[in-house]
Amino acid sequence: MLKLAFRNIFRNRLRTALTLAAIITGVVSIIISGGFVEDVFVQLRESTIHSRIGHVQVLRSGYLEYGRRDPARYMITRPKEVVDVVRTIPNVQAIMARVNFSGLANNGRADLPIIGEGIEPDKEAKLGTATTIVAGRSLRIADAFGVVVGEGVAAALDLRPGSFVTLMVNTSEGALNMLEYEVVGVFRTFSKEYDDRAVRISLPAAKELLFTQSVHSAVVLLDDTTVTDTVTAIARSKLEPLGYVVKPWHELADFYQKTEALYRRQFGALQAIILVMLILSVASTINMVVYERTGEFGTLLALGQRRHQIFKLILLENGLLGLLGSVLGVVIGVVLAGIISGIGIAMPPPPGSSSGYTATIVLVPRVLVAAALIGVLAAVMAAVLPARRASRLPVVDALRHNI
Amino acid sequence: MKHNQRYGDDIAVNCTQPELVPDSENAVESVPIIVEVRSVDKEYYLGKQSVNALLNISLIIHKGEFMALAGPSGSGKSTLLNLIGCIDTPTSGSILIEGLDISGKTPDELADLRLNTLGFVFQTFNLLPVLSAWENVEYPLLQQRDVDKKTRQDRVRHYLNMVGLEPYAHHRPNELSGGQRQRVAIARALATRPSIILADEPTANLDHKTGEGILRLMKDINQNEGTTFVFSTHDARVMEMAGRVIKLADGQLVV
Repeated sequence: MLKLAFRNIFRNRLRTALTLAAIITGVVSIIISGGFVEDVFVQLRESTIHSRIGHVQVLRSGYLEYGRRDPARYMITRPKEVVDVVRTIPNVQAIMARVNFSGLANNGRADLPIIGEGIEPDKEAKLGTATTIVAGRSLRIADAFGVVVGEGVAAALDLRPGSFVTLMVNTSEGALNMLEYEVVGVFRTFSKEYDDRAVRISLPAAKELLFTQSVHSAVVLLDDTTVTDTVTAIARSKLEPLGYVVKPWHELADFYQKTEALYRRQFGALQAIILVMLILSVASTINMVVYERTGEFGTLLALGQRRHQIFKLILLENGLLGLLGSVLGVVIGVVLAGIISGIGIAMPPPPGSSSGYTATIVLVPRVLVAAALIGVLAAVMAAVLPARRASRLPVVDALRHNI
Repeated sequence: MKHNQRYGDDIAVNCTQPELVPDSENAVESVPIIVEVRSVDKEYYLGKQSVNALLNISLIIHKGEFMALAGPSGSGKSTLLNLIGCIDTPTSGSILIEGLDISGKTPDELADLRLNTLGFVFQTFNLLPVLSAWENVEYPLLQQRDVDKKTRQDRVRHYLNMVGLEPYAHHRPNELSGGQRQRVAIARALATRPSIILADEPTANLDHKTGEGILRLMKDINQNEGTTFVFSTHDARVMEMAGRVIKLADGQLVV
C-alpha cells in the first residue's frame, strides 16, 4: 500500500506539483512570518535591555514605590556589597552603579527639566550597544565636568559638543546645588522619550553633584538574555534578605511588555489567516485530485478492497505529500530566511524611537516544527472529506468515471 | 478459493441448456449453481425521471458456464452484470451467490465476496497505471491475507504465463497494447481463483482480431480450468462463441 501510495504521488507530476506548491507556500509563509515576528521581539527586547535597562537591576527595596518622592532615602549605601554578591553569579558580564537625579538644565538662556544619571561610562559602553553617539564623543570616567546629553535635549537647548550647560539639582541633604558642565557628546537611544529628557555624567561627578557616596541602582549585564530569570532568582535569594529588590528587565520595561502583547495579537491574527489560506488551497487541490481518480478507486473497490482501505490509501498518499511538502517547505524556508537575513529588511523607527533598524528572519526551532506539523496536518485534514466521499461512493458510479 | 476447479467440470460447458426459469433445473441437477437471480427489478433515476433498467429478471448460472449476456446498449445487460458482481444493488428481488443471499450484506462483506468469489474484467481494462503487469495481477492477492508469499508469486507467474504475458511482467500498462492490457486484467481476475468471472464488454475497446483472441483465451481457461465466465456483449460474432446466450431488451429477458 505504501508502495502504491508512493507511486501514485509521482504518477501525475502536475497534480503532485500543485499540491506540493500549496503546502510549500504555506510552510514557507509560516516560517518567514513567524521568524520575522520573532525578530521584531528579539530586536525590541535587546534594544530595551541595551539602551538603558540592562538585564537585571538591584535597587533598595521601596525605591520603585517611593523613590520618586524621596530619592535620597532609598539608596544603596554600600554599593560594594551588592557588586561583590552579584559578581559571583555565573553569566554576569558587568555590574554598574548608577545615580539618578532630576532637575533643570540651563544653557544661559532657557531651562529644561531633565532626568540625569551618573554612570560608569566604560561599563555602560558594554551595555549600551543600542546607544549611539551622534555627535562628539562618549563619556569617560575621568570627565569630572563633562556631560553627554540626549538628542532631544541637545535640540531643545541648542547644545553641541563644546557648549556649556548648568545642571541644577537637589542634593540628598535637601540643599540646592548647581554645577556647570561641558557637553562632550550627544547620544541617541532606542527611546525617543528618553532622549528628549536625559543627560548623563560620570558617577564621581554625580556623587559630587548630589553630595552622596550612595548609588540608586546597580545594573547587571548578562552575556545571554535567556538566563535572565535564573540570575534574577539567584540574586534575589542572596540580596533580598539584605534589604534589596532585584528586578529583571521585563518587569522594568512596561513599554516592552505592552508592545509585545499588542504585536503578538496582531501577528497572531495574520498567521491565522495564512493558516486558513493554506488549508483551503491544499484542500481544493486535493479535492480535485481525488475527484479525478474516482474511477481508479472504483476499480479498487470492485476488486474487493474495503472502503476503509481506500480511505487509508488516500490519507496515506496525502500524508506522504504533506510530509514531502513540509520537508521541502522547511528547507526552502530556511534558505529564504538566510537570504532575507543576509540582505536585511530596512525598518522604520518603532513607536517611541528615533532610529530605524534592520530586521532579519529569526529561525526558531519551535516555529520550524510547528510549520512542518501544520503542513502535514493540513494535507491530511484536507484529504479526509474527499477520501470519505471517494470510499463511500457506490462502486458502479465510481467505475463510470473510467470511461 | 475453497472449491477446486477441476477438469471434470467441462461437462457442464458442453451441455448448454437455456434455462430461464429457476424451477426447471432438473436436467443438470448434478452441476452446482453459482448464481441465482430471483425476480430482480432495477430502477434508477435520471434526473427526476425513473428508468426501469431491469424488469423481473430471473436467471440461474451453473458452475463452468461460458455465458453471454447480449443485447443492444441500454438493454440492461451491464446493469445485470453489475448486480451479479455485487457492485450495485437491486431495487427489488434477490441475488444468491453460491447459495448466499447478498441483499442486506454490509459493504465490507460485499468487498470480501468480490475479493474471494468474483473476478472482474472491464471494458476499459482498469489496470492500476502505476503498477507493472506483475504487480497488477498480484494486487488483489495482497488483499487476501491467507495467501502466503510463495503461493502468491507462483500464482502470478502461473496466470501471467497462461495469458502469455510472462515476458511483459515488468511493463507498465501504458507500455502494453490494448489486447495485452486486457490479458493482464484477465490474469488479475483469475489470480484470486474466483468462482465466476464477470466481464463487461471485454472486447468492445479492442479491434476484432484482438477481441477474438481475448475471447478464445477466456474460452480456453473456461474449458481447461473450469472457471465460470459471464460476459456482456452486443457483438454477434462474440455471441457465437458463447456456450449460452441470454438476450436482453429493454430490461427484460428475450426468449
